[in-house]
Amino acid sequence: MLGNARRAVATWAARFWADLKASTDANLLGVLRFLGLLYGPIDTSLPIDQAFRRALRYRLPRHAGWRHALGGIAYLLLILLVVTGVLLSFYYRPSAEEAYQSVQHIVSGITFGWLMRDLHVWGANLIVLATLAHLGRVFFDASYKPPRETNWLVGVALLFVVFAFGATGYLLPWDQAAYWTVTEALDVVERIPVVGGLVVEVLRGDPIVSGATLSRFFAVHVILLPWAVLGLLMLHFALVRKHGIAPARTPPPDGPGVPFFPQHFLRSFIAGVLVVALVITGAALYPRDVGEPPNPSQVPGTLATSWVVADVSRGLTYYLGAWGFGGFLLLGLAMALLPLFDRDPERRLRRRPAVAALGVVFFLGFIAAWLVGRQLRSVPPHAPAVPGVFVQPPPPSTP
Amino acid sequence: MSLAALPLVGLVVTLGTLVRPEGPIQADTTYGCLTCHAAQREAFVVGVHAEHGLRCTDCHGGDPGTTVLPAAHRGLTGHLDKVAAARVCGSCHADPNRMRQYGLPSGQLAEFRASRHGELLLDRHDPNAPTCTDCHGTHVIYPPDDARSRVYPANIPGTCARCHSDRQLMAKYRLPTDQFEQFRVSAHGVALFQQQNFAAPTCVGCHGAHSALPPTVSEIHSVCGRCHQLIDQAFAQSPHAGGAGTHGLPGCLACHSNHGTERVAADGIAALCEKCHSSDTRIRTLGLGIQQTVARATDDLRSADRAVTRMALAGERVGDFRFRYQTAMTYYLEIAQVQHSLDLQRLEELSRRVRSISVDLDAAAEAAAERRWEHKLILLPVWFLALSAVVLAWLALRGLKETDQSRDG
Repeated sequence: MLGNARRAVATWAARFWADLKASTDANLLGVLRFLGLLYGPIDTSLPIDQAFRRALRYRLPRHAGWRHALGGIAYLLLILLVVTGVLLSFYYRPSAEEAYQSVQHIVSGITFGWLMRDLHVWGANLIVLATLAHLGRVFFDASYKPPRETNWLVGVALLFVVFAFGATGYLLPWDQAAYWTVTEALDVVERIPVVGGLVVEVLRGDPIVSGATLSRFFAVHVILLPWAVLGLLMLHFALVRKHGIAPARTPPPDGPGVPFFPQHFLRSFIAGVLVVALVITGAALYPRDVGEPPNPSQVPGTLATSWVVADVSRGLTYYLGAWGFGGFLLLGLAMALLPLFDRDPERRLRRRPAVAALGVVFFLGFIAAWLVGRQLRSVPPHAPAVPGVFVQPPPPSTP
Repeated sequence: MSLAALPLVGLVVTLGTLVRPEGPIQADTTYGCLTCHAAQREAFVVGVHAEHGLRCTDCHGGDPGTTVLPAAHRGLTGHLDKVAAARVCGSCHADPNRMRQYGLPSGQLAEFRASRHGELLLDRHDPNAPTCTDCHGTHVIYPPDDARSRVYPANIPGTCARCHSDRQLMAKYRLPTDQFEQFRVSAHGVALFQQQNFAAPTCVGCHGAHSALPPTVSEIHSVCGRCHQLIDQAFAQSPHAGGAGTHGLPGCLACHSNHGTERVAADGIAALCEKCHSSDTRIRTLGLGIQQTVARATDDLRSADRAVTRMALAGERVGDFRFRYQTAMTYYLEIAQVQHSLDLQRLEELSRRVRSISVDLDAAAEAAAERRWEHKLILLPVWFLALSAVVLAWLALRGLKETDQSRDG
């Protein structure tokens, strides 16, 4: 009896699979390729299953290793952010009246709402690190050299899109920290000569950070930037497929190369699983507080952000001043534009000491400024000496 | 007239405007004194008296209609001495028919007579005693709600201190001179000067303005009780109330001092009782009981505050808990009143109510914290699955490598 049923199900599944294969051609796999989920070329003359298997067997150069999983990790984090972001947007309400309460509701009223929110927070911070790590790998491996300089620039643009996601997302919790961090950041932007005032006017939409600002940041965060990231990523993947993995710094012994599947896939899988577990761990152990509701008339005593870019900027400005901050930006700009000037095919690090020094200074500086900035607590210039009390003034010392 | 004459007409008109006596004040014959006494004019015209049509002659006499000196000074009082000043001011300000239109009281002169200042000036002709103009100004007199006035609430303590902080002057009357400094840092002084809270009493709030006198011992609790009504009611039920009337006990001042209005710290209550009741163990026990009750309620209220804050920071909706906290705060404020009645039973009852709310809020916060802690349990399945997947993938990878190597070899 049971055997018969099993046989019936198996027959049905086989027929379904055969129907699917017969009715679909290998071009459908182009979608997977387009989304960066499939790497190898697709032989469209084959049936879809055989074309898929052949694409998986595509061989990468022998030096492709763990380092080459970093870009994939950043992509995985982006997918995680998109999924959690969509789930959060089911409950989040982007208005000055409801935003704070809706975040409270997400955190304490929705099953696993806290997890969605904190995965989003942790993912947002880790994607910056993953993108920077990927960028560092490409930089030190000299993978940006021709013919891959366009892709390097696309990658740098993606980094800025990630920063922009963080900046716009930071306001959305609509609590005191969010409100005043964004106020502080916009004040800094306003000081940029010539364009600063106009940029802030457009971003803020009001003389102070208000519901108008929240609407703008929300629209940029969930409409503009996702389209930007999608377009840039498609271009990024297309160029990776076009030019393949860059040659190694030191040419490896000749050999047949590593199959994408299962070797590189397994490595990426291990890295991906660990990263996801790490994000969940961060979310469970160190959730972000829901702060006080925003109060435009009360400057908080201290501002402690948990956003990497804000930490780095604060660390730099605190110890090196505005000039140091500007100098660091120039260093970053020099790195971003390097492929346009550094066109020598030499890839060994010791043969290009100036570039290596530039990279080391930038990345060590970034990490140092980040660690220092985390320890600093920004004190706005006109903050009262005693931070505002939260619920009520504390009871008088005696009645 | 030909058109050519027009410029000439224009010139004449312009010159006419230039030589006309300047401003309406010069043209007003009631201001004739100012032709010579220009300095006083500057001062007088900005004040409230000029605004209501008072002129120099109303206080000083003389004839402003003429600028010929003997005629102008006919019937002139000239400089008014202190007693005359009081009389002159009173000639209008003690007249209810004249004051009615401005909504002003007319009893100031009578009150002044009853005051210590009035007694010194009017009965003993003491030249140090103040008269009306010493507090209100002479020619420049602003209404009390004008911030430039010497009797504007925030300026009153400074006005009184001009004499009462003068050691040499006060030595003659054997009065202390530290009142202003004490007041400045007192609860009342902080409210007045720092918070601009004009509901807070200045010197005149307790001593009276024109009838200024220190309250007598038996009056003190009534003076304080005018604002602190509930505390006064509680105090009236205490054993101290009788003593305040009959045994010269200085009422509120016994514990809170006068100008300094000192707060009593919760842990200082018992020690304060011992200042008077050093040998009475029964009173000592009562003092300690009150102290402990108040201290416990203070701790409980703080703990309730922390619990609500903790929940709010973790994203719990705390609207209802805030209401509960407000209720606890209300009981706590009632404790502040009731402790003046020394009714330990009632105090303990109120303290128990604060405790009950505090315990509830703590329990709610604890339950919320427990729920949040349980979030961490998700790590068990996550890491179990993650590590299993990693180990399996690792093994597969190693297997592939060995196959590769054996094939290469």
